[in-house]
Parts: sequence; structure tokens; C-alpha cells
Amino acid sequence: MTPVLAVKNLVKIYRTAGAPVPAVRGVDLEVEQGEFVAVMGPSGSGKSTLVHVMAGLDSRTDGEIWLAGERVDTLGEAAWAVKRRKHIGFVFQFFNLVANMTVADNVELPALLAGQSARQARERRDYLLGELGLTAQADSPPGRLSGGEQQRVALARALANQPTLLLADEPTGNLDSGNTRDVLRLLKAVHGNGQSIVLVTHDARVATMADRVLTLCDGQITDDGRIKGRGGGVSDVVRLRG
Amino acid sequence: MSTTRASLRWIRADVKARRGQAGLAACVVAGVVTALIMAATLLEDGTNPWRGLFAQSRGAHVWIHTVGVADPSAALARLDQVTAVAGPYRTAPATLLQGFVKSGVTLRAMGFTPPEVARPLIREGRWLDPANPTGVVVERSFARATRLVVGGHFPVRGVDGVTHDLTVAGIADTSDQGFYPERQPGLVWAPADTVRQVDPVSRLSVTGLLLEDPEDAELVVQRAVTVLGGEVERAFTWRGIQAEMELDNRLLGLLLALFGIVGLVAAGLAIANATGGQVLGRLHDIAVLKSLGFTRGQVTRMLLAEHAAVGLAGVAAGVLIARLLTVSVFADTVAVPLSLAPLLAITGGTVLTVVVATLIPAWRGGRTPALPAVPVAPPHGRLSRLARVALLVRLPPALVLGARDAFTRRVPAALTTFGLAVPMMMITIGLGCWATLDGFRDNPEQVGQAAALTVRPGILSSAEAKRIAESDPAVAEVYPGADVEVFVPGQNRTVTTRAVGTSRRPYPFPVVEGRMFARHGEAVAGQGLLDLIRQRIGDRIRVTVGGSTVILRIVGRTIEPERDGEVLSLGIDSLAGKDADPPEFYSLVLRPGADPAEVRTRLLAASRNGLDVQRVVNPAERLEVVRPVIVALIAVLALIALANLLTASAIGLRDHKRDLGVLKAMGLTPRQITATLVVGTGLLALIAVVTGTVAGAVLSAELIDLQGRTSGVGAGIGRTPDPVTLVGAALTALAATTLTALVPARRAARAQIAAAVRS
Amino acid sequence: MRLQLLALLAKEPAHGYELKQALEQTFGNAYPSPNIGQIYVTLGRLEKDGLVRGVDVEQSNRPNKKVYHLTAAGLDTLAIWADEPTEGPRVRDEFFMKLVLAPMTGMADRMALITRQRRHYLALMQDLNQLLAATDRGNRYAILLIEGAMLHLQADLEWLDRCQEELL
Repeated sequence: MTPVLAVKNLVKIYRTAGAPVPAVRGVDLEVEQGEFVAVMGPSGSGKSTLVHVMAGLDSRTDGEIWLAGERVDTLGEAAWAVKRRKHIGFVFQFFNLVANMTVADNVELPALLAGQSARQARERRDYLLGELGLTAQADSPPGRLSGGEQQRVALARALANQPTLLLADEPTGNLDSGNTRDVLRLLKAVHGNGQSIVLVTHDARVATMADRVLTLCDGQITDDGRIKGRGGGVSDVVRLRG
Repeated sequence: MSTTRASLRWIRADVKARRGQAGLAACVVAGVVTALIMAATLLEDGTNPWRGLFAQSRGAHVWIHTVGVADPSAALARLDQVTAVAGPYRTAPATLLQGFVKSGVTLRAMGFTPPEVARPLIREGRWLDPANPTGVVVERSFARATRLVVGGHFPVRGVDGVTHDLTVAGIADTSDQGFYPERQPGLVWAPADTVRQVDPVSRLSVTGLLLEDPEDAELVVQRAVTVLGGEVERAFTWRGIQAEMELDNRLLGLLLALFGIVGLVAAGLAIANATGGQVLGRLHDIAVLKSLGFTRGQVTRMLLAEHAAVGLAGVAAGVLIARLLTVSVFADTVAVPLSLAPLLAITGGTVLTVVVATLIPAWRGGRTPALPAVPVAPPHGRLSRLARVALLVRLPPALVLGARDAFTRRVPAALTTFGLAVPMMMITIGLGCWATLDGFRDNPEQVGQAAALTVRPGILSSAEAKRIAESDPAVAEVYPGADVEVFVPGQNRTVTTRAVGTSRRPYPFPVVEGRMFARHGEAVAGQGLLDLIRQRIGDRIRVTVGGSTVILRIVGRTIEPERDGEVLSLGIDSLAGKDADPPEFYSLVLRPGADPAEVRTRLLAASRNGLDVQRVVNPAERLEVVRPVIVALIAVLALIALANLLTASAIGLRDHKRDLGVLKAMGLTPRQITATLVVGTGLLALIAVVTGTVAGAVLSAELIDLQGRTSGVGAGIGRTPDPVTLVGAALTALAATTLTALVPARRAARAQIAAAVRS
Repeated sequence: MRLQLLALLAKEPAHGYELKQALEQTFGNAYPSPNIGQIYVTLGRLEKDGLVRGVDVEQSNRPNKKVYHLTAAGLDTLAIWADEPTEGPRVRDEFFMKLVLAPMTGMADRMALITRQRRHYLALMQDLNQLLAATDRGNRYAILLIEGAMLHLQADLEWLDRCQEELL
């Protein structure tokens, strides 16, 4: 089966005023349909850059990016934008909701953008808001919602067009533990419905929700494997004396 | 396109969120459009009174003068296109006797109720009344030229030589014929009985026709002549009358065009600045949109549509307000709203300006990268060495920090400065125009009106008139004069020539270039005439006066506000003998402080009403209509400048929200924080106001001279506003800008500091 | 201390005092300075277990010093120790030891060590995730304990990242 996402020798070098900074130095990656992949690594390892480049939000310096079997890195900015509407849902660390539109409008926007009729977009929106428990806040401006609620709105927005691939950049980075738990549960549920997910995080708890964990160090992948639990417990980490 | 739904959704949310700013932008545009339309309307009415008169009086499109017994109205009414007929009215020629001055008039027989079609518009007094059988209504331009007043005597002598004593019952405007004295004889409406008394045998009559399609006027005239045959004496169409009434006034037109263009440019800059500021504030949201899949072109089109829509709303509002003003406030001055061509030019120009002004910020917004970065910290101003020294020397920290902040963002700072300096410059130039008009009014000799009175010999001889005039203690100088029409080479119409004073003792014409004539055969000319005959100072021209040819050498250029500067001035002795002797009139220059009305009364008494003494009208009075235009445009420019300032303040405040907490931690009181925020914008405003005022002062005289030169009046009229006015204007502007920056700054300084730091 | 000494001896044979110096040089102030007596006792036990072999070396003007060599059995023990992920609560110290000393043994690649340890931690984290999901929301103490363990694991993983950055 064609992988949902295939990346070959991806390189991203930032040309700043001083010396060029290589953020991603040759990454190969394939994500299958329905997989949940987590990318871990210390800060500065290039995780955010990697996922931004894969989504087309930033340009690549070298390498190939294939989305659902089609090559996308050679597309022009406009064409990639059109692809992005239907194939990619992105969840940011800082939510990035449009401040002067209501929650409902925010969630509806991608559907309208993709060309759905107003009625279809509204139905999809109502469904998503219901699933994520946000129906009560549908008409509020995003500024009035808590962090966790805003991220849920962002997730709803990302899922509006049933994207081929859901990408997330530190989705719980700005949330407290309670909200983190909620968002993780939602991601798990979404994954359970067959959504392919690539998620970038420094939080091991978030990463181990995934089937597969990649470790990125200094722009390169140093480890890529499935994590299997061994039925361990707390005493493997902490011993209580008493 | 399916994506328009998404774009519309965003536009709707954005406009709702920034209602105030959108409203202000629309107001600015509406203000500019209203001011331009009002100015153009006033100007059009000032230079083309026919339109208003025609509309108000329901004028006739065609006037047919017939001679004969039959009643032509039936035949004329049957003609194609004729919807209504005025008349026929019997007419009779007569002569108005005023002392020894005779003026030709046409008496037109009318009923006691004003007619429906071509109704004369009573301005003073009243219409014909059966209770006053000798009362007549006089046409206004004729009344003005012959100094008639309501209730005054109106003695007319008919063709048979009998004098009838009539009185003036009213004075009215009409669109039936051009102004006196260009169109003679003067028009007088009288009761039918009175006309029959004056001239029992006249078979002349005049009929007016109202047409369905005014364009067919010439065709209708043709058909009328065919139908009526030899009975038609003369025929006039509305086009001819309109042309007669038209006062070509290039100066005013140019002035308006200048202000219009600059107003639009300033408004365009303001809109560009405001749009740029708004896009800057929305960069984050735009990046989010692009991450969702909006393309660059889509974003640009969306921003353009949003701001263009606001601009269009402003244009529509402006047109509406101008229309309302025309029918309410200005209902007496102006009868009809602006004609279509200038209206389209103004609205089209404004729409174009709005679109162009929005184009670049919208394009830059489209180029935002799709990566909504962490809220970008604004570029930090570096504390230069100068600033550090200033702090060491204990200048108020507010001043130093504010100064540093003012220049952090280069392009918006430049735009703000420019956007304030240009309106300031134009306001200064406007004040210069005002000062120029003041100069005309207060120093009439600078526009060629040194003499306050003109004396024409009536029954007395020319020498007597001169003696009486010279003997008056208030009269300083007496210059003999004659007005002749001459033919100049290459033109098929005549040019007014003013021969006043002798070559040795010339009338004080305002010569600004070259020199005054000093010899027989020398002359000075207005700029308009020099342009017309394509000659320069020093050239010789050959003119034909009353059959004889005279060769004149042009030695200087005068300021000539009459007839667009197409006037030749020379000494009376340069004319041939028969035109010069005896002189037609004498121009009297009074001693400073003398009251012309008093002197006139004295002269009339001394001559036992044998002299005809007239006050001279300052030709620059016609230009007074510019004053309200200047006021309107200064108001609009001020509005534009303040809009620019608000944009600058908004950008500045947004940038420094985070600094607020830091400043407070440093120990600055809210007042000092406000001061810091205001100083930033205030410094830019100071630079802008000073630059604008200086540039305006420097350019003012030159620009006005340029206007004068191209309009035929001639360069040399330009004035700079006096220093007191300039300083006053600059201080007012500074005070206004500081206040405008103060209010939002105070609010921001007092607001939740904690919130600012946390975000 | 047994394994530290075995690892040092894998590099080259040494006597007690040299081993003390080597330990001090390697860990500096971070690790408590080893007691020379404790070293000799441990060496003795290792010799008894057959993991090292002491050889007397004659010195002029001084008492004989005993130089210790690693035996084949000792080498095997080291190999097993290097290969297995270190388990248990005080894994930090032991793991760090492994990480620092392993290259000297020529037995384990630092990168492989780190990767293996990381996978172990991640697997543990997954277990804890499932445990947490299965725990009743009302059982506050259990939840706190699990979250505490998770935080420790998170810290360990971040430390692993730092090690990877610095040492590789």
C-alpha cells in the first residue's frame, strides 16, 4: 500500500545573516496508512522544522516529499496550498486560532476553503464540535476559552476535512497536565478511527501514545522503532522505602 | 470560486472586529469625496450659472423671435419634440433714460401670474402686479449694469419718442438670454398694457419652446424656420445661451484640480498607511490562513476586497452627503448638483486611489510565510550612544526612550512622517492662497485696481469733468482713459484694450516683469494675451483699432485678473486721435483712507448730477468663492492627517505593549509611561509638521504663481502666509497631534500591565 | 564498585593505587573519592570469584605491589553487564557508569547504549500510560505515584538526550 507520507533525504538549511544553519540533515521517513508516529528529540534537534517542512509550511532545501503517492515538494506555493486543504490537518503548539472569528467559524473555515457548500460545512462543524465537547462554546471568540479548549478547537479544525494526514507540533506543549490528558485521549480516539498521525513532542508520555517513536538528534534520525510495553510498573522507576 | 465563501467569512469577521478603524477609513474617503464634489459644484455653478437657472426656472430650450401678425404658437406647438410652449410674448424695443445715459431695452409683455415655462426667478421685489400698473421686472445683470434698484425710476422712451415713467417692481434672473452687456438689449418684463402703451404697433413677438430631447434643439429651429418661413427674425438655442453665460475661469479650475489631486494623493497615503498598519497587526492571522491552505493570490485578493469595499462605502456615502448638502445647506447658492462628467471623474478617481493605495499592503500581506511563528517581538530599537549620553545627562527617560522607539520601524515611521508632512504642506499652501486673496482684497492696486472711481462725462464736457474731479480734496490722481476693442494678429475676435493715463504719466498698472511703458507706442500686456498671440516682452505687435493700424512694442507684463489675462494696457496717447480725444472716462485714484462712496456723493453734488460716477469693482472679488473651498479642503486634509496619526499610534502601541510592564518595573509612573508612548509618535509628528510647514511656505508662493501663470492672470501674485499664521498653524497641528496620540496612550498605560507582560 | 574496577582493568592491568587514581581522574568531584582500602577489599573479592588475577611485581626499595589482570571470566562478566539494559531504581548511576566506561572496554557502542536505554524507558512509559488509563480516577494516591514515576522517567529521558548531545 502506498504510504500516506514518504520523505526521502529531506534537508532544510536556514540561511540567516550569519552562517547557514542546517536544521534537518537528511531524513528518510515513511508513514503507513493508519499509523501513529511520534518524533522525539531535544530542543534544537529540528523536530518542529521537520514537521513544518513536511506540511509545506516551510520550503525544503533538498529532498523529496510524497503525499499519498504524489510528489508535493516540486509544487508551487499555490498548488501546495490547495493540496494542503484536503490532505493535511495541522495542530500547532500555540493553537493559532483566528482571533476575530468565533469558534464555530474557525472550525468551519477549512471545509469552506476546500469547496464544500455552506450546509455541508456546517454539518461537519457541528459533528466535530459535538465529538470534542465544544458545542457550548461554538459562538465564543477563541480568546475566551481555556488553553485546553482552544487546542481542542484547533484539533477540530485540523480534522474538518478528514485529512489524509494529521500533523501536530507539540500539541500539549502549552497545556497543563489535566488538559494534556484530555487532548491525548482525543488523539488516541482519533487514531482509533483510522487517522494517520505524525506528532512532534519532547514529552515522553505523549510520544508513547504512538505506535512508533522516532528520535531526532541534530537534524538526523538516530532511532526509529516500535515501542512495546513489558508490563512494567512503578517499582521499576521508584522504590518506596518504608 | 468555491473559496470565496471562506474569504467572505473572514472578511465579515474582520470588519466586524475592527469596526472603528473601518468606519474611520470610510469617513476619510467620504470626507474627501464630499469636499471635492462640493468644491466642484460651487465652482461649476460659479462658472456656469446657466444650469442652475435653467433648472430652477424650467427654462425653454429654444427661443424663436418672430415678426408678423399671426400667432405662431399653434404652429410651433405642433412641431415634433415640443412638449410645452412659452408665450408668444409681444416685445417692443425701447430706451432707458438715466440722466444722459441711454441703454437699449426690450420690453416683453407678460401676464400678472408668472408663467409655467421659462419663469423668471424673482430675486428682489416682486412680480408684476395689477395694483402697480407701471411696475416692471428687470433682468438682474442689466439692473446691475445700470444701477437699478427696486422702487427706482424706470423712464423709457419708445420708438415714437414719448417717455413713459415706469418703476422697477422687481429684479429677476432668467435663463432666456446671456448676461448684459455682452447680450444687448437688456430684458425687461412689463404688463401687456404697458407694452402696448409704449409701442402700440410693434409686431414683434418671442416664443419659447420646451423640448422632449434637448439635443434636438437645432433641428427644431430648422423645422420652425421651415414652418414659419419669413416670419422668423432670430432664433436661439439653449446651447448658445449657455455659452454666453459661461464665465471661463481657468484659475479656479486649476486651483480645484490641484487641491483635488493632492487631496486624493494624501487620502491615498493615509489609506495605504492604515491598511499597512492593519495588515501588520493581522500578520499572525494571515499566516494561520495560509497554513490552512489559502494561496498567496487569495489572501491578496481578500485583503484588497475588504479594504476596497470599505473605500467604496466611503465613496457612496460621500456622494450622498454631498447631494444632501447641495439640496439643504447650499440650496440658495447652488441650484443643481454637479453635472455627470466631473462627478464620475471624482468618484472614479477616488475609487482608483483607494484600490491603488490598498494594493501594496495587500500584496505584502499575501507574501506572509505560512508559518504562524510565535508572536513576533517587534524589532528592538538599539540604544545608540547618543541616547546613552542623553540618559547620563539626565534628560527625562520618557524623552529618550520615546525617541528611540520612534525610529524602530523604519518604513512605517517614514510613511507616518510623510503622511503628516504632506497634508501640513498643503494646508500651508492653502493658507498661502488665503493670504493671496487677502492681498487682492486689501491692496487692489496690486491687481490693477488702483482707481476706486470712474467718472464719465454726461452732459458736461470732458474738460469740465476733469476739473471737477481734480478739485475734490480726496482725489489724488486723475487719469484719462478709454476702453477699446482691438484686433490682434492671428485672432478672429477682438481683445480688450485699456488705454488709461498717458505714456508719460501712466496709470499704475501692476507691472511685474519688464517695465511700465514710458513712450508713445509702448504697451504692457497680461499673461493671457501674451499666451494668446504667442509673443514675449520686447516683441512688436500690430493691432487694428477702429480701422487704423497701430504698431506697439510690448515692454512689460501685468497682473491681469480680468478676461483670463487677455488684456492690453497702454497710454491713451498711443491710440489714434479720434479714439483718444476726448477721453471716454477718467479713473480717479483716491488718497489713502478716503471713502469712495463719500467722494462719489460729493462729485455728483459738485456736478449737479451731470457726471456719471461709478464705483470700480475689484475683479478679484470673483475669486472669493475660493475661500470656502480652501476651508473645506483644509478640514479634509486635517482629517487625513489625524487618520494617519491614529494608525501610527496604533502600531506603536501594539509594538510596545510588552515594554509597558518593563517600563513599570523600571519605576516609571503611569504618567511617565504615557509620556514615553506619546513622545514616540510626537517626535515623528514634530518632524512632519515642521517639514511640511517649511516646504509649504517655500512652495506656496511658487505654486500660486504657477497657477497664475497657467491661468493667464500672470505670475507674481503668489504670497506666502505671514510668519505669525505659519507658527500658529504649526502649533495648532502639533497640539492636535499630541492630543490624538495622548488618549490611546493614557488608556494603554493605565491598562492591565500584568496582562501585557504575561502575553 | 566491582564493575567499575573490572571495566578499568579491561583497558589495561593496574595495581590498586593506580585504579584509585583512575577513578578519581574519570569522575573528578562528582563521585565520592574512593577509599583505597575499599578498593583492595573489592579486588580481593573479585580475585576470589576468579574475575581478576593478581600478579606480584618486585620493586627495589619498596614492598611488592600487586598488579591485577582481568581474567577471561571477568571479561565475560563485563560483556554481559554491558549488553543488558540496566534495570532497577538506581539505574542512573549504573547507567552513567556504563556510558562513561564502555568505550574503554571496547565492548559497547555509546550510541547503541543510549538508544537501548531510551527504548527501555519508553517501553516503561508506555506501561505506565496503560496503568494510568486503567486506574480509577478516584484513586488519587495511585495516580500520583504513577505520575511521579512518569516525571522521573521524563527527566531520565531528557538526561539521555543531554548525554547524547555531549558525548556523541
